Amino acid sequence: MTLAQDNGQERGGDDLVAAEYVLGVLPADERRQASARIDGEPGFARVVDQWEVHFAPLAAAYPEIEAPASVKPAIDRRLFTATATSPSAQGSAGLWASLAFWRGLATAAVAALALYVAVPYINPPVEMPQERRVASLAADGSDVKYMVMYDAFTGEVGLSHVAGERGADKDFELWMIEGGNPPVSLGVIPAGATIHMPIKQDMRGKLAAGAVLAVSLEPTGGSPTGQPTGPVVAAGDLRDI
Amino acid sequence: MTPQDITKLIVRTSMKDRAAFDLLYRQTSSKLFGVCLRVLNDRADAEEALQEVFVKIWTKADRFAVSDLSPISWLVAIARNHAIDRIRARRQAPLSIDEALEVADPGPGPEAAAVAGGEAERIHGCLEELEKDKAAAVRGAYLKGESYNELADRHGVPLNTMRTWLRRSLLKLRECLER
Repeated sequence: MTLAQDNGQERGGDDLVAAEYVLGVLPADERRQASARIDGEPGFARVVDQWEVHFAPLAAAYPEIEAPASVKPAIDRRLFTATATSPSAQGSAGLWASLAFWRGLATAAVAALALYVAVPYINPPVEMPQERRVASLAADGSDVKYMVMYDAFTGEVGLSHVAGERGADKDFELWMIEGGNPPVSLGVIPAGATIHMPIKQDMRGKLAAGAVLAVSLEPTGGSPTGQPTGPVVAAGDLRDI
Repeated sequence: MTPQDITKLIVRTSMKDRAAFDLLYRQTSSKLFGVCLRVLNDRADAEEALQEVFVKIWTKADRFAVSDLSPISWLVAIARNHAIDRIRARRQAPLSIDEALEVADPGPGPEAAAVAGGEAERIHGCLEELEKDKAAAVRGAYLKGESYNELADRHGVPLNTMRTWLRRSLLKLRECLER
């Protein structure tokens, strides 16, 4: 485009493409290219993010319009029943007609009702802490990012893997750092997009009080010494939400 | 709901908490539907887009952590970008419908003017520094997701001229925003 001369240096060009992407004026193919760069180039993604921030106040002009009631169930069907629909398609007639199925359902319903009625007596409700804390783990010079939520009710840390790979023969290990004490291992983080790690009873109080969490790069299986041996690739505070 | 409340809901959604996701939908779907409808100009299309937007929000909620956007702006950006991708994928934009619904380009209403002094709202002040028609083109492009093609048609100039024109405006905006 003719504007190449106008901006000269690379940053100017990228910056304009980012602005055009955010504004929405680009044709389909250039939008696709920009979108691929957002996914693949953190630097470009940041420039786009900045333009989104600049233009965001304009969005106040969008009116709120109530969506039809049918939309949310359709979303839930897409997200949560995708696997259930296919096998039932061929077997549904047989299932609905099956006496055994209805007998089974009735039995299950009675059992569920019994449990529903009995549970408060077996297991009287106690005041449980509902406290949750979150942390965003990241570090300069590293592309590893995790979102963490500690749920005091279940005593579990939920991790959501945002970015960054551990590489061959390496593992990420999660550490808790409390005040000036040495880091305490919470275990090797299993690979995956969303992970839940149970926390030992004696460490729960410290997490609930808000500690620093850190992720270090360790040999497969975790640190052999009980202390971090590799670089800290992400860290952050657990904060109240 | 405060921005902090929406943040909590997004974070809990990233942890696959369906109750949080339901509440997030209740609190924000009207705004996001408004965005989709304004860009797509077609109810059935906007409903379909809104579904896809919330599927994206469910699967990409963890990305919020690495964004500088406020929670509602982050959600609006997902909806806007998705609606714009959708309209670009259409064979031809329904120009006739767009024209039928054409209203005056929204200026910086009283609400916007009131906050224009704030650091975060600098965009309004910077748009004021552009010539009127150029500011209107930028606002219109943002709100309606118009393409360079549509803008060129509407302003009766060749595509390249339109692009040069708008890019100059963007450079001026950037200069003003960084001041």
